[in-house]
Amino acid sequence: MQVHHNAKEALDKLVNDSECITALLISREGVSIEESGNTGYLNTTALAALIAGMFTATREVARMVGEEHFSILLQQGTNRHIHISLINETVMMVIIFEDYQRIGKVRYEAKKASEVIANIMQPEPEASVEKLNVAGFREYALNLIDRIFDKPQG
Amino acid sequence: MPYINYDKQEIAFKIVYFGPGMSGKTTNLIKIHEILDPQKCSEMVVLDTEEERTLFFDFLPFDLGSICGFSVRFNMYTVPGQVQYEASRKLILDGADGVVFVADSHPSKREENLLSYQMMTENFVSHGFDPVTYPLVLQFNKRDLDQVMNISEMNASLNKGGHKTFEAVALKGQGVIETIKEVSKQIVTRFEI
Repeated sequence: MQVHHNAKEALDKLVNDSECITALLISREGVSIEESGNTGYLNTTALAALIAGMFTATREVARMVGEEHFSILLQQGTNRHIHISLINETVMMVIIFEDYQRIGKVRYEAKKASEVIANIMQPEPEASVEKLNVAGFREYALNLIDRIFDKPQG
Repeated sequence: MPYINYDKQEIAFKIVYFGPGMSGKTTNLIKIHEILDPQKCSEMVVLDTEEERTLFFDFLPFDLGSICGFSVRFNMYTVPGQVQYEASRKLILDGADGVVFVADSHPSKREENLLSYQMMTENFVSHGFDPVTYPLVLQFNKRDLDQVMNISEMNASLNKGGHKTFEAVALKGQGVIETIKEVSKQIVTRFEI
């Protein structure tokens, strides 16, 4: 079994094996965590926010009909299609592909990649949490906010 | 608690603009997008209906810059103001690091302001936000109308918590930057890991 060193590698493999255009990992907060494939045509920041909103709304719909969640969302367009699946409670995977005939392959590769990525995505170790100096961060950020927001006021 | 990605060295704070329908929440974001350095604001996503009402949310990401090696961003959202979209508001408020309440200053909007404010505070409780310490700024918008409620009346009705307030004419960009600056500073001041 191939060992993936990080989620990006798993996404790259997914893009290669499924022949999709783009694959992304998006946090529940609507932030793009990892991207693979062609993203030049796409505003991934906006897409991440919208997909997260859509998925959260769909979760509420699932609860209304007695399901905990719908684990897969599929949006079929004329030329491009989107497959969205839950990796865990906080991360979802988005696959954009063109040939709808390949939906079976996309689903199969998505399931394989999901399992790999779910194993990779572990909580941040304590050591990395300490990397950020919170007091220093606050002071610098407050100064930066003053500089940026005072500027357009002349 | 903001979103923190240690691998990519990114921090994203979430700011939500709350308030009754047509009070100027989307206009605030549009003006921020117009006024601030275009290199710092990415493309804005506006999901208005044909009647210029926000159906789900609007979204504007703003890059603050690099701090302590982390790329820091404020993601600004609006909620739909109409009463029937309570489910959407609840979802959008989830994970918010701070809120701007945009009130309409016209006297006919007194009840709508109050109802929206009450819905916001109920949402705060359900999300576990402490209404006293939670970053919240009130904006009294549309101060250029012929008839407006006086500020003390609006404070008495909407600001029992003594939060910071700003008068605004969002359509002209007045008070918009002051508002976002204040809520940003409150969020950063409260930031902890």
